[in-house]
Amino acid sequence: MKKLARVSAAPSLADSIGATWTEFWFTPAGPWPLALVRILGGLLALALWGSYAWDLETWFGPFGMISPGLLDAWRSPYAGSLFDLATSTSGVLIAYGLGGLVLLAMTIGLATPVTTVLGAIAFASLLHRGPMLVGPADDVVAVILWCLAIGRPGDVLSVDRRLGAWLGRPAPRPSVCTGIALGLLRVHAAVIAGAAALAQLKGDVWWNGTAAWWLASRAESPLVDLTGVFLQSEYLVNLVTHAIVLFEIAFAVGLWIPSLRRPLALAGLVVWPLIGLVAGEPFWGLALAVLAVGCVPGGGEAPILRACGRLPGIRFI
Amino acid sequence: MPEKPPPPLSDAVRAGLTVALALYLVGLVLCVAGNSASGGSALVRTVKAKLFSPWMTPLWLDLGYDTRLTHGLAEDGDHRFEIRRLDAPAAPEPVILPGPAIRGERAARWRRLARATAVSERDPEREALVPAAVAQGVFMPWSTHDVSLRVLRHLPPDRRDVLDGLADVAGRDEQAYAARVRLVDGEVQLITSTPREELAPLVKEPAP
Repeated sequence: MKKLARVSAAPSLADSIGATWTEFWFTPAGPWPLALVRILGGLLALALWGSYAWDLETWFGPFGMISPGLLDAWRSPYAGSLFDLATSTSGVLIAYGLGGLVLLAMTIGLATPVTTVLGAIAFASLLHRGPMLVGPADDVVAVILWCLAIGRPGDVLSVDRRLGAWLGRPAPRPSVCTGIALGLLRVHAAVIAGAAALAQLKGDVWWNGTAAWWLASRAESPLVDLTGVFLQSEYLVNLVTHAIVLFEIAFAVGLWIPSLRRPLALAGLVVWPLIGLVAGEPFWGLALAVLAVGCVPGGGEAPILRACGRLPGIRFI
Repeated sequence: MPEKPPPPLSDAVRAGLTVALALYLVGLVLCVAGNSASGGSALVRTVKAKLFSPWMTPLWLDLGYDTRLTHGLAEDGDHRFEIRRLDAPAAPEPVILPGPAIRGERAARWRRLARATAVSERDPEREALVPAAVAQGVFMPWSTHDVSLRVLRHLPPDRRDVLDGLADVAGRDEQAYAARVRLVDGEVQLITSTPREELAPLVKEPAP
């Protein structure tokens, strides 16, 4: 009897794991959340891309600071960049301009299946051309762009959809690709928040509650001067420090608890940008908020349609 | 109009996708474990380097995501360059990068480059590479072959010291790196300056 019970229990566990895996990765998802991530992530990628514009020649030009010799010593042997092929100033400018146009096309949803892939390649290429210039926001946006390349983010809120409607193509259906892309966004949101919390907790200042002071009292990075407020109350410094770590842990764990997923993802839309503001990494905060958009269950279709319904003359397809 | 469900995936496609996803998730875990600032174990580093880095690195996915924001250390402060031309007849004002006109993410990238310059000095494989490259980057536009390059870092004050009147809330700057870089016969020469506190004091021999 015992033997029989064991035999019958084993497949049920395997079945349960298999069913959970299949449900998580292979349930078709509607197009709205990923389309929102495409627009917001695309805008963010364009802003980060634009931050190179003024110093492009100084850094990557033929006599630039980040020379091929320096890159050979700095980069992994597996790393490469399309910008390595541009050996003249005009070549660098053309590559940079083309990459920017691809990201713009992706953001507005033009030829999305192609521009999402090319946008992710272009963005990774730019980061590989100057790895010592890269910040945490770039890392998160690179992940978002690859997730967009896997899914179908141009099915709604896009030029592609407009053209499709004009040509009489049927409305898009929920898609497994989009479901996989949203699943990957959720996995990365949890991993990035958890890894940040772990990295912070290796430092004493995150335990003794003074990290917020050290962030705020830097000379140039902070966008808002909180030193005056923090000088008034030590408890406030401690509270902000502990709140940052607690939110990161709650976000990383709570995304996997069905009842907590929605409130935490919605809170992430506000809290991540605030953390970015305090930490002097505003784009990192915004990038994590974009990841949070992809984690909202049922992601934003109703509010967008409601908002658009109030706008005269605008009809989203 | 109700949306039609998509056609179900075939078992072969589903199996292929499962393998690809499982492989990527293992790679993601190994990247996080192997790229930590604390250093990864030899096992993790080897498995990652052999199986995952070759395809995850080009995609900019071989990352640890260990954004610590600050540990309250000197190297967490804001860094900046101070570059001065040395072969000009009159002593020119040094150029600060990022200067006050450079803001936002653009300024943050300059700060990262300055920090990389200071931090790489402790890495025997990268020592002197970044400062030499940065100086070479100004040789041509400035029409010079001789510059002094300093990396200054801002040290935020301790909150208690500010409250006790022992420090200013603005903090202070310290020199994280300094070198004279010049181009002689097409060869870059780098003469580093040792911070004063690292030099042993001269002690006179006691009289017999």
